[in-house]
Amino acid sequence: SRRKRARARHKPCALQELEVSVSELGLGYESDETVLFRYCSGTCEAAVRSYDLSLKSMRSRRRIRKEKVRARPCCRPLAYDDDVSFLDAYNRYYTVNELSAKECGCV
Amino acid sequence: DEILRSLAGPPSPPGQDPHGWRVPVDCVRANELCAAEPSCSSRYRTLRQCLAGRDRNTMLANKECQVALEVLQESPLYDCRCKRGMKKELQCLQIYWSIHLGLTEGEEFYEASPYEPVTSRLTDIFRLASIFSGMDPATTSKSNHCLDAAKACNLNDNCKRLRSGYISTCSREISATEHCSRRKCHKALRQFFDRVPSEYTYRLLFCSCKDQACAERRRQTIVPSCSYEDKEKPNCLDLRNVCRTDHLCRSRLADFHANCQTSFQSPTSCPGGNYQACLGSYAGLIGFDMTPNYVDASPTSITISPWCSCRGSGNMEEECEKFLRDFTENPCLRNAIQAFGNGTDVNLSPKNPSPPVTLPPKMEKSPALPDDINDSNTMYDTSIITTCTSVQEHGPKLNKSKEQSLCYSETQLTTDTMPDQKTFVDQKAGGSRHRAGQILPLVPVLLLL
Repeated sequence: SRRKRARARHKPCALQELEVSVSELGLGYESDETVLFRYCSGTCEAAVRSYDLSLKSMRSRRRIRKEKVRARPCCRPLAYDDDVSFLDAYNRYYTVNELSAKECGCV
Repeated sequence: DEILRSLAGPPSPPGQDPHGWRVPVDCVRANELCAAEPSCSSRYRTLRQCLAGRDRNTMLANKECQVALEVLQESPLYDCRCKRGMKKELQCLQIYWSIHLGLTEGEEFYEASPYEPVTSRLTDIFRLASIFSGMDPATTSKSNHCLDAAKACNLNDNCKRLRSGYISTCSREISATEHCSRRKCHKALRQFFDRVPSEYTYRLLFCSCKDQACAERRRQTIVPSCSYEDKEKPNCLDLRNVCRTDHLCRSRLADFHANCQTSFQSPTSCPGGNYQACLGSYAGLIGFDMTPNYVDASPTSITISPWCSCRGSGNMEEECEKFLRDFTENPCLRNAIQAFGNGTDVNLSPKNPSPPVTLPPKMEKSPALPDDINDSNTMYDTSIITTCTSVQEHGPKLNKSKEQSLCYSETQLTTDTMPDQKTFVDQKAGGSRHRAGQILPLVPVLLLL
């Protein structure tokens, strides 16, 4: 099972989905409605550019010291899904936008 | 085909099948067929000029108009129909009414439906809906069918998109005085009910409930604060007149009357025992002036009404009450909603319809038969109609719009018995509107960057 975990850790960046209740989203809404939450997960090794390598090198040579830089691409949504509407426990409708990822990529 | 042609009596002009053997063609197509024929198209032009801004009697006083109408009754335009949600639906209905407004006596209580009869049954939807039934393993007594229906919709991209579409449109505030755009809200609702398959939309609209919280969710389905309620309640007959000035609303209302008309011929109380057709034409009214909804959050007793009352009816009180009762006290509609909620439907075997069950005379007298019933141009075999449906409370006039409604004897119909109506009110139910000041969404600060 360690091998399974290792394989999972090395899955390339892709869209995953999860059925969650609106309350679980942690946005402060109280509702039992279930929505589909799509998120991005996976690794971005293939997306490493000269930029990343050089930035890493600059940082290790202490040429960049003060500011925080990121020398690795990461798996993020490139586009978000349509709005999601739901009825809350107090019979009011809410619409949340950019809740779910529609497309993932290494940026 | 040749044999049929010879049986059909007088030969018809080319490009059109003889009467009686024709499959119903939609009015847009019929219009094309008519346009290709000089005699038909010139008569149709004449008739439209005749109808423009004149009532029926003035029109028929004109010889030329009369001839045009007679000739057109032989054309495919005469019994063309439209489909709900078809391409060019409005154009189709305009063509339909351009002929039929001249055929009716003006304001009738029930008008024939311009839509093709629905042949599918609820069971078709249940079959599709059974895909969902495996989805919710917790089918306990605590289950909330309306919540399950919302879940099923949210997990389907198309349903979710169009549902969110109408919800956000209907709850978008415009200004301090106008709390939403009713026109846009209605349009978005129509899109939802036209474009999302009925196994999703019916589930949301007709879910069965055991408690108030569920019934309130059901009542809220169409965002009634915007799409349904209004500052004041108009008189129902005034509302009907407003609806009849619009081809689409008028057609949907006629369709509702045709498919949810209480019928004493069938134990289901629905014409032809067809629940699916009634639910479909009910949903077809949503997003128009005649939008119906549940009047309260009662889980067990279902009362439906458009947003109108019979106050100020004057001497039309009786007609107004009759109109309103078709929504509020309609056994066909009620049975159809309950059957859908229970997942039951009637099993019909429409082979060899046996003679109708004779029923005790009902309080409602049939209206006098319209004088054009011996019109040889009816598409339908009138002998069947007389054995079967003329006993119903509406005249055969209406039957022109439907396929011959078959009659079924009680032995051919198996209906599930009504569930016992236990009134069960959940004390914690959310029908009461709590103030929820402290649960305003805590938007993470990150999003504000």
